[in-house]
Amino acid sequence: MRFVLRRLGFFVVTLWAAVTLNFLIPRLMPGNAAIAMMARYKGHVNPQALHAIQIAFGVNNHQSLVSAYFAYLGNIARGHFGISLTFFPDTVAHQVLQALPWTLALVGVTTVMAFVLGTLIGLVSGWRRGSVVDGALPPLFVITSAFPYFWLALLSIWLFSIKLGWFPESGGYEVTTTVGWNWTFITDAVNHSILPALTIIVTAIGGWILTMRNNMITVLTEDYVRMARAKGLKPWRIMWTYAGRNAILPNLVGFAMSLGFVVGGAILVEFVFNYPGVGWMFLQSVENQDYALMQALFLMITVTVLLAILAADVATAILDPRTRERG
Amino acid sequence: MSLPSVADSVEPVGATVGSGPPEEATKRSAGADLWRAIARNRKALVGLCILLFFVVLAAIPGQIAPDDPRAKIYPRGLGPSVHHLFGTTAYGEDVFSQLVYGTRQSILIAFAVGGLATLIAVLVGVSAGYLGGTTDGVLSLITDVILVIPIFPLIIVIAAYERNAGFLTLVVVLGVLGWSYGARQLRSQTLSLRRRDFLEAARVRGERRSYVIVREILPTMTSLILASFLGAALYAVLFAAGLQFIGLGNPNSQSWGTMLYWAENNEALGAGMPYWAIMPGVCVALLGAAFALLNYAFDEISSPALRLRKLENTGVDTEREAKAAVPARPPDPKNILEVRNLSVAYASEHGPVVAVDDVSFDLGRSEFLGVVGESACGKSTLVYAVARLLGAPLAGEITRGQVLFKGRDMVTLADRELRHIRWRDYSVVMQSAMNALNPVLTVAAQMRDACEAHSTMTRREIEARSKEVLRLVSIDPVHLYSYPHQLSGGMRQRAMIAMALLFTPELIIMDEPTSALDVVGQRSLMVQIKELQERLGFAVIFVTHDMSLVSHFSDRLLVMYAAQVAELGRTRQLFDRPLHPYTQGLLEAFPSIHGAKERLLGIPGSPPDLLHPPSGCRFAPRCPHVMDRCRAEPQRLLEVDGELVRCLLHEQAAASVPAKEGVA
Repeated sequence: MRFVLRRLGFFVVTLWAAVTLNFLIPRLMPGNAAIAMMARYKGHVNPQALHAIQIAFGVNNHQSLVSAYFAYLGNIARGHFGISLTFFPDTVAHQVLQALPWTLALVGVTTVMAFVLGTLIGLVSGWRRGSVVDGALPPLFVITSAFPYFWLALLSIWLFSIKLGWFPESGGYEVTTTVGWNWTFITDAVNHSILPALTIIVTAIGGWILTMRNNMITVLTEDYVRMARAKGLKPWRIMWTYAGRNAILPNLVGFAMSLGFVVGGAILVEFVFNYPGVGWMFLQSVENQDYALMQALFLMITVTVLLAILAADVATAILDPRTRERG
Repeated sequence: MSLPSVADSVEPVGATVGSGPPEEATKRSAGADLWRAIARNRKALVGLCILLFFVVLAAIPGQIAPDDPRAKIYPRGLGPSVHHLFGTTAYGEDVFSQLVYGTRQSILIAFAVGGLATLIAVLVGVSAGYLGGTTDGVLSLITDVILVIPIFPLIIVIAAYERNAGFLTLVVVLGVLGWSYGARQLRSQTLSLRRRDFLEAARVRGERRSYVIVREILPTMTSLILASFLGAALYAVLFAAGLQFIGLGNPNSQSWGTMLYWAENNEALGAGMPYWAIMPGVCVALLGAAFALLNYAFDEISSPALRLRKLENTGVDTEREAKAAVPARPPDPKNILEVRNLSVAYASEHGPVVAVDDVSFDLGRSEFLGVVGESACGKSTLVYAVARLLGAPLAGEITRGQVLFKGRDMVTLADRELRHIRWRDYSVVMQSAMNALNPVLTVAAQMRDACEAHSTMTRREIEARSKEVLRLVSIDPVHLYSYPHQLSGGMRQRAMIAMALLFTPELIIMDEPTSALDVVGQRSLMVQIKELQERLGFAVIFVTHDMSLVSHFSDRLLVMYAAQVAELGRTRQLFDRPLHPYTQGLLEAFPSIHGAKERLLGIPGSPPDLLHPPSGCRFAPRCPHVMDRCRAEPQRLLEVDGELVRCLLHEQAAASVPAKEGVA
C-alpha cells in the first residue's frame, strides 16, 4: 500500500513539474514569445481570443507571477487549456482529443509490440547463449538502435512508397474515404500505418532485445537457476519461471524509464509521415506558434507516458512479490 | 557493475565467496585494465575507429572537402559523379563537402553534451549515493522526474520559444536534460560501494568527504562514467539532428541535421534526389552507432558475465579420450558414489585453469564426507562437477574422469537421463538460500515444480508432502506459502534442506549450507542435518572451510589444497594425527571447542595461482617443513595407515601407491 501511495505521489510531483515548466518556459525565454505570437495573429482572430492569450502568457497584465501561476494551475486542473489559434475557434482540448486515438493506435501499439517482441527475442537469445543467432543479433541491434527514427522513416518512404509503391507515402488515410467505423476506412488506415509502424518497431526493438539478453545472461548465473537445474526441471520451465521471470523485472523498469525517449522518436515519425496524431499536431503547433495547443499537447504526452509507466509498475508488482511489500 | 581486474578474471573458482583480491589492487589497476579490455573487444574497436574517423573529419575539414560547403557554384541537383561524390544540392553546393564540414558540429555537440551531462550525472549521482538521507531523497526525486518527463517534446517546447536555437543553446538544453539516466546508475553504484571495506577504511582514517569521493569512489566507476558519457553523446547526436531536421535549429548552420532539413524542404525524395536525405542520415546513424557500440562494449567489459569464454584447445584431454584412459573397473556396490580421476578446467583470458586436478574418492551409503579447504581451492567446483551442475557462473568443464553414481557414469549421462535422477536420487543444498531460492515464487511453488517434474502426485499430495518435509526441519507449515524474502535467514536455509528431502534421496550434496548463519544457528542446523541423516539414511558430501564445525559430524574428511587432494581419511584419525602440514595448519587455524587454550597460528602466505601452479608440491611455498625435493617434483598421493596423503614426509611410512590413483 505504501508502495502504491509513493508511486502516486511521484506521479503527482512529475505532473506538477511538467505543468510548472509549461508555465515558466515562455516567461523565462528572452524576447516575449507571446507578444510575437500576438503580433502574428492580430487581425486573424477575434479580440476575445487574443485576450485569453494575454492572460495565459502573462502579456500586458498586472498580475504578479505568483497569482498568475495559481490562476494557471487552476485552469489546468479544470481542463481549460485555452483556444487553439490554428484551429480557431475550436478549443485546444477538443483538438487534442481528435489526434489522440491516432497516436494511441500507432505509437501505443507499436511501442508495446516492440517491447514484447524484443523481450521475447532477447530472452531466447540470452538463453541460447553463444548460438549463431545470439552471435549475430547483438551487434546488429546495437547499430539499429542508434538509427535516427526520422531518417529510417525517410528511407522507408523512399524505398517502399516512391520506388516500390507498396504503401502510401503519407497521411493516416485517403482524404476521399469517410472517417468512421466502415471497412474501407479501416483497411485504408491500417495500410497507411504499416510503414510508420515498421519504422518505430525496427528502431525501438533493438534496445529491448539487448537489455533483455543481458539481463537473461546475468540471471542465468544466479544460484536459483542452478538450483532449478539441480531439481531436474525441464529446460523451458527453467527458462520461463526461473530465468525469464526474473530477467524481465529490470526490463520493465527500463521500459518505464525509456518511454520518454521512445515517444520523442515517434513524434518525428508522425511528422515525416504526416500522420494525423498528437506528434504531428504538436509540431504543427510549434510551426504555427500556437503555444496554447503546444503546451496542452506536451502535457498530454507527459500524462500518457506516466500512465504507461503506471502500467509497467503494476506489471512489476504482479511479477515481483518483493515490490508489493517494499515501503 | 564493478571493473574486473586481471586477478578477478583469473579467479578460477567463482563459487567461493570473498576470495577476491584486495580492494586496493582492484582500484589501482583499473585504468590500465580498461585499455587492455577495449583492445580485445571487437565492438569497442569498430566503434573507436568510426569515432576517430569522424573526429579527424571534424578537425581538418578543409583538407578533406574539395569545396567550400556554402559555395553555390555548381549546377543544381547534380547526381553523384567523380567530381561530386554525392551530387550537388538544390542550391548548387557540393553535398560531400557539406557532409565533411557538418561533422564538426555533431562531434562538438556529442562531446560537449556528453561532458556536461556526465558532469551533472556524477555530481548528482555520487552525492545522492554517498551522502544519503534527505539529500539522496531530494536528488533522487529530481533525477526520476527528469527521467520520466518526455525529454524530446520538452526540448521542442523550449526550442519553439527560442527560435533558431544556436549551438550553445542546444548544448545547454540537451546537457541539462540528459544527465538523469547516468545519475541513476552512478547513484546505485555509489550506494553499493559505500559499504565496501576500502571506503570504510578511508572514513576511519578521517579523510574528508571530497577526498574520499575523488580518490576512492570515482576511480572505481571509470567504466560507468564512460558509459554515462557515451549514452549522453549518442542521445545528443540523435536529438540535435532531429531538432534541426524539423526546422528548430539554425537553418544557416553547417550540420547534418540542417542538411536533412533542407533536403526535406526541397522534397529530396519526391525530386528523385535521395542523396540529400540519405547521406547526412548515414553520417548521423554511423556516429550514433559508434557511440552505441562503445557503450555496449563497456557494458560487456564491466560485467564479465556477458563475455563468453570457451575452453579451447587446452592441452587437457577431452571427455571421450579421458573415458578411455580411465581403467574400467566395476564400482563397489557398497558405495553410492565413486569419483575417479576427476579433473575440471575453466577457460580464462590467460588460458585454461585446472580447478580440480585428478581427484578421486569413494562415498559409502549413508556416509558423511566433509570436504574442507580454503577459499578457491576447488572444493565447490568439485562437488558441482559431481552433481553435473557446472555452467555459468562456474563455467568449468569436466576434462577427465568418471563420476559413478549408483554404478552409472554421470559424466557421460545425457541431459534427459540426468534430469530424471536429479532430486529423486540426489539433491543439492546451496550456500545461500537467499540466492538459491527463486525470489518471485513461494516456497510451495518451488516445492511443487520439483514434485511435478519427478512424480505423478496430485496437488493435494504435493501439499501434504511439502508440509511434511517442512515439519522434518522444524518449520511451521504455515510458512509454506511464504516468499523467500519473508522468511528469516535460518528458516530459509532449513526450507532449502526441506526441499532437498522431498524425495528422500540417497545422496545430498551440501555446499557450505551453514556459512550464512551465526555460530549458534550453524551449530543447531548441523545437529539437525545429522539427525535427519541418521533417521533417513542418506549420504552427505558436506563442503566447508570450517574444519572444526564439520569434524563433529563427518565420518571422513577430504582436505583439498590448490585443486588437489592433500589428505583423505577418517575424521577422528585426521584430527588426532594430521599427516599433511596443510591439515596441521588448518587445525591450528580454528579454535578447538573442547581443547586447551592454544595460540591460533594459521597458515602464512596464500594459495598458489592455479593458472601457473608450482611445479613441485603446491603447498611447498607455505610449508614449514619444506625440503628441496618438494620443489623439484610433483607429489603423488601416498597411503599411510589406510589414509591418503600427498606429502614426502610420509614416504617412508607409505605402504604403496593406491592403484586407483593416477599419477598427479
